[in-house]
Formats: sequence, structure tokens, C-alpha cells
Amino acid sequence: MSGTCEPMMTSNQTLFSYVLRLADDHLILSQRLGEWCGEAPTLEEDLALANIALDLIGQARALYAYAGQVEGKGRDEDQLAFMRYERDYQNLLITEQPNGDFAHTIVRQFFISAYMDPFWRRMEGSKDDMLAAIAAKASKEVTYHLRHTSEWVIRLGDGTRESHERMVEALDDLMMFTGELFEMDAVAQEMLQSGVGVDASDLKAEWQHTVQTILQEATLELPKAGHMQTGGRMGRHSEHLGHILSELQYMQRSFPGLTW
Amino acid sequence: MVTIADLGILRSIALDEEGCIVAQVTPTYSGCPATNLIQQMVLEALHEAGFENVRVESVLSPAWTTDWISSEGREKLRQFGIAPPTETSNSKRALFGETLVTCPHCGSGETERVSEFGSTPCKALYRCLACREPFDYFKCH
Amino acid sequence: MYSQGLIGADGKTHEDAAFLAAFQARIDAEQKIEPNDPMPEGYRKTLVRQISQHAHSEIIGMQPEGNWISRAPTLRRKAALLAKVQDEGGHGLYLYSAAETLGVSREEMTEQLLSGAAKYSSIFNYPALTWADIGAIGWLVDGAAIMNQIVLCRCSYGPYARAMIRICKEESFHQRQGYEIMIALCNGSEEQKELAQDALNRFWWPSLMMFGPPEGESVHSNQSMIWKIKRFSNDDLRDKFINASVPQAEKLGLTIPDPDLKWNEAKQGYDHGEIDWDEFWRVVKGDGICNRERLKNRRRVDRDGAWVREAAMAHAQKRAARTASARIAAE
Ligand SMILES: [Fe+2]
Ligand SMILES: [Fe+2]
Ligand SMILES: [Zn+2]
Repeated sequence: MSGTCEPMMTSNQTLFSYVLRLADDHLILSQRLGEWCGEAPTLEEDLALANIALDLIGQARALYAYAGQVEGKGRDEDQLAFMRYERDYQNLLITEQPNGDFAHTIVRQFFISAYMDPFWRRMEGSKDDMLAAIAAKASKEVTYHLRHTSEWVIRLGDGTRESHERMVEALDDLMMFTGELFEMDAVAQEMLQSGVGVDASDLKAEWQHTVQTILQEATLELPKAGHMQTGGRMGRHSEHLGHILSELQYMQRSFPGLTW
Repeated sequence: MVTIADLGILRSIALDEEGCIVAQVTPTYSGCPATNLIQQMVLEALHEAGFENVRVESVLSPAWTTDWISSEGREKLRQFGIAPPTETSNSKRALFGETLVTCPHCGSGETERVSEFGSTPCKALYRCLACREPFDYFKCH
Repeated sequence: MYSQGLIGADGKTHEDAAFLAAFQARIDAEQKIEPNDPMPEGYRKTLVRQISQHAHSEIIGMQPEGNWISRAPTLRRKAALLAKVQDEGGHGLYLYSAAETLGVSREEMTEQLLSGAAKYSSIFNYPALTWADIGAIGWLVDGAAIMNQIVLCRCSYGPYARAMIRICKEESFHQRQGYEIMIALCNGSEEQKELAQDALNRFWWPSLMMFGPPEGESVHSNQSMIWKIKRFSNDDLRDKFINASVPQAEKLGLTIPDPDLKWNEAKQGYDHGEIDWDEFWRVVKGDGICNRERLKNRRRVDRDGAWVREAAMAHAQKRAARTASARIAAE
């Protein structure tokens, strides 16, 4: 996808960083979902997960292409996606967490979708035309992701004792990665002030409301918020990211500089 | 044959100030694998028609919606065996709720959804309870 | 609810001479047979076997390519590959539904696949070792599938024929993408070209085997031809495929790994070298490098997903019960 909008501020390091981290979130999460291909509990779900992964890759590509344009050093979507080192990836920690069982994958996707849904809706009003345009498409898509995962949360929470227990465990395991969603570091602050970015901290109430409404219907509870993990935005990751990258980057690292 | 104009993917063709033909296309879904191919084929078609100075632009906003599929496009889809999206898609209900999908083969309204997704993200798989034909439904979006 | 098995499900279709002759007359007049039409039990069984094998092939075929999603070299290729594998799953689902019109359930068909009783296309028992294999599979394997399926678009059974028309469109898209991967490799570095040649070397012969052994040895083909389920001989389709693929390989600058391949002016087509049918039968019978793994994977996925399917079922039942009691309370 080639962007046609001019970046609002040329070679703006902050904007670059802001777009890049969003792109990283989507790439890493889609890489995880792609691992489900052919492995889902039903054929229908195989198609659904692949579809969500495809939406995410599409969004990541638009974001990387734009980030490259903002940076102005001639890096394209693939150079940004494949040719950086671990510490340079700025994705949220929750996106890199392993698929685990189906309950873990659903809870991870549900937590993220419940966050990205209002995030993209607000981003549609961004002063940055390109981000607003990407948001317009993405918000339609994430609405579906949220609905799909909500349905599964309810089915699994309410379903059998086993599925309920698995959901409780998944919620427990992933809760500590949700605090990071709402953090506002200097980059996010600056973007917010210039009317480009979204106030993530302000999304928390809506997120909690969405999550709790669905969990209640699922006869589940949101675990108590204990210590929240953080670090993704600074490139301090869990051990999982390195393994994701070793697969993701395999071809580009083995055969540097070639066209595929 | 269903064209990209029928589907509302081709947004406009115009001349810019420098006399360059600009074709604007919009992706349907962010992850649609046909996006690149469509852009390439538009370019090829314009070149083949003898136009040298051409450019294909991708426009993201306003986001594509199935409402842009022309009535002719709908009819062509039906003839190809794909049930076209129901008329308006402005609500989430239309997309996810109980849509009335008629069988493109026999016209019966007695149909049921087999899967929310078919082979491509834009389609769902249905079956007709009257003639029992499995068929794709082009979902509202 | 969907009710199945209207046709011959009672096993009492009276297949006397008059019935069979009338049926054959419809076939000969190129009329499509539809799900609600009477049909001989043999016709039904042949179709169920063929359509479900076809569906199984789509599903098992997700594995070799799925193996490369996480390692695709660019984002565009990754998206295209993921979409392709999703397509194949969608084809499987579509074909299972087409088979269900003949009174067999998806559960039964899945059971046959998992138990090893049902066959699937043997090509998927070959491994996808390098990225170039993804190109070769799209170009050759989807290409061979298209050759087979284009003639099935005229198959006498309506739902299968119509399914093939739509599926063929998507398969051509896959083939185009696969060939495009090959073009990129062949326009690239020496290493890339070697990858492409190596993939062609490994996939050429198995692709030719996809059309099945020459007719004499193929058990079902005669009756299938009469019923117009099948409309060309295996060798005819194979020749068409070779004639289409050789110029494509030449365009890529690759060499078909068959020293005996020669243009035959008289038949306006290529003559090819001996196909190793021993290898074909060995792999069909289960001794390919991936046979066990492919089936074991399906069984593992089936096992791992059981709790999810149970939960979905339990929830649906609870919900139905709640709706029912709410209705009673309201009355
Ligand atoms: Fe297929
Ligand atoms: Fe295919
Ligand atoms: Zn019908």
C-alpha cells in the first residue's frame, strides 16, 4: 500500500516512533495468530483467526509504510518490520505472549480488541490525515474482532467446568499485561498534545466497562489488578519476543538485501 | 464479469495537472491479498489501452463499504452464484445479526449460515434449506 | 435445522433397469443431477468419496504451506500466504458442505480422515522445505489442481460442478501468486535461482503424479466417465498440464528435471519420461516422509479442540434452556 498523504511534520522523530510502535503491536500479534493456522478447534474458527490475523497484518503494513515515509530515510515496510533488533521493537508485552491454549488466545485477543476498538475510533479524529485514514479502516475491522472474541469469552466462561477453569487461568495469566495498554509516556504525551495521538489513559474506563460486561455474562470475573508489567515501549520485552523474531526474520537475515 | 468498478473498488479516474492519468482504488479489507494484484492489473490495463503516463493511487478514506457495490454488480455476483450483500450495511446488526440471505441458485429465503467466513474474509458460507446448495454470501461491511 | 439424507438414505432406491436407463439418459443429455433428484446408490457413493477426498486434500494441504507463514520473507508475501491457506480451509468447508448434500455428515467424513480410512491428495505428503517450495506449490500443485478441477466444472452433479466453478477462480489466483514468487526468485540472485530450481526438481514429478496412474490401473474411472463425474483420462489431463507448464518453466529460465522431455510435433505436445509409479504407490500407502505427521497433526488438533467444542455446545444448550424457561415464565 503506498500512502499518498504527506506527513504532517516531516522527519518527525516522535511521530515516527508513535506510528512504529503501533505497527509493532499489530505485526507481533498477527505473527502469534498466524501460528494458529490449521490448529484451531474447528474449521470455522481456523478461518476466523486467519481473518483476524490478516486484518492485523494489513494494518501493520499501512502503519510501517507510513512510519517509513515519516522517517524519510528510505526504509520500506519490510526493512522496518524485519530488519531491527530485539530491543528496537516497541510492541506491548501482551501482544508477544504465547498462544497457550485457545482460552489464552481468546483472552489475549479480547483484552487487546476491547482496547483497540475505542483507540481506533478516537484516532479517526486525528489531525494526522494518514493516521485518521488508517483508523477509519481499522476501527471497522476491530469492531468485528471484539465481537468475535466476546462471543468466545461468553461461550467458554459459561460452557463447561473445564472451559471455565481454563478461562480463569488465562485471565489470571494475562491480567498483569493490561496496565501497559493505558500508559502515556513522553512520546504518547507529545502526540496527544499535537492532536495526533490518542489519550490511552482515558480509554481505561471504557475498556473496563466492556471487559466487565462481557465477563459478567460469561460468569467470570476480572482478576484483581496486581503489579502490572511494563517495558515494551522501551524495548524491554519478555523472553518470548526473541523467538518470534528468529522465525519472523529468518529469511531476511539468511539472505540479506534480496527481493522476494 | 464483475468489475472493480461494479464493486466500488475503483473510486475514480482523472487527469492531474501534469496530464497524468490517476486511477484511485481503495482496499476492501486491510488484509485483502488482492489489493496489490488489483493495482497492478489496473496499471497493466491502462498501459495496454495505450496510456503511458498513468499512476495508481490507494485511498483509505472514506473506508470502502459494500454499499458501494452497484446494483449491476450485485446482479452479476448473484449470477456467479454468490449471494450479494443485503442492501444497507450501516448498522452492526446488518453485518452480524440475522440477515436474510436468499439462495442465489433457487431464490429461496430458507437459508442458514454454515460459517461466518468462507474462503475469503469478505464471504460467509451459507446453505440453502430448500435446494440444499452450499453458497457464498458476500457479507456487508 | 438441516435435514440430510433424503436421497437413497433408506437404501431402497429401486435400481431396476428402467430407473438406471432413465438416469443415464439424463446424464447423456447433459442435465445436471441435483440433491433432491433420485440417483443410483453407486453414483452417490462415488461422489461422496470423491468430494470428501477433495475436501480432505484442501484441509491437509493447509499444513505444508502453513509451515511457512511465520517465516515468509516479506509482509506482502506473508499476508498472501496466510490468505491462501485460509482459502484452502474455506474450500474444504465448501466441499464438505457439497458432500453433505449427498446425505453424509461432516462428522462422518472427518472421522474417516482421522482414522486413516479416507484418502487425500498424496502431494501433501511431500515437505515444504524452503521458501521456494511455496512458489513451486502455488505454481505447480495449484496448477495441477486447476487442470483437474476445470473439467469438474462440467461434472454431472450440480452442487459439485458449481462449487468447482467458484473454487477454480480462487485457485487461479493462487497459481498466479505462486508463479509470481518463482519470477521474483528467478530474477534474483544466484542463490535464489538455485532455490527455485531445487523446488522445481522436487515438486515436478509429484505434481505429475497428482493426476493419478494411467487409466488401465485406475479402478473407478470407467464408471465415473459414463456418469460424467470424470470427463478426461488421467493421462490426457497430465499431458495438458505438462504442455502448459513447460513454457512457463522456460520463461523462468528453469529446467524441467526430465531428460526425456521432448516436443512431439505429431501430437503437438510433449512426451515425458517414465513416472516412478512405485514411489507414487509407496507414498499413497503411507510411506511418504510426512504421511504420519500430517494425520497425527489433524488428530492432535481434533483432540486439543475437543474441550472448546464441548464448551460451545454446552453453552448453546444452556442458552436454549434459559430462553425456553424465560418464555414459559412469561406465558
Ligand atoms: Fe483449494
Ligand atoms: Fe489453492
Ligand atoms: Zn436454494
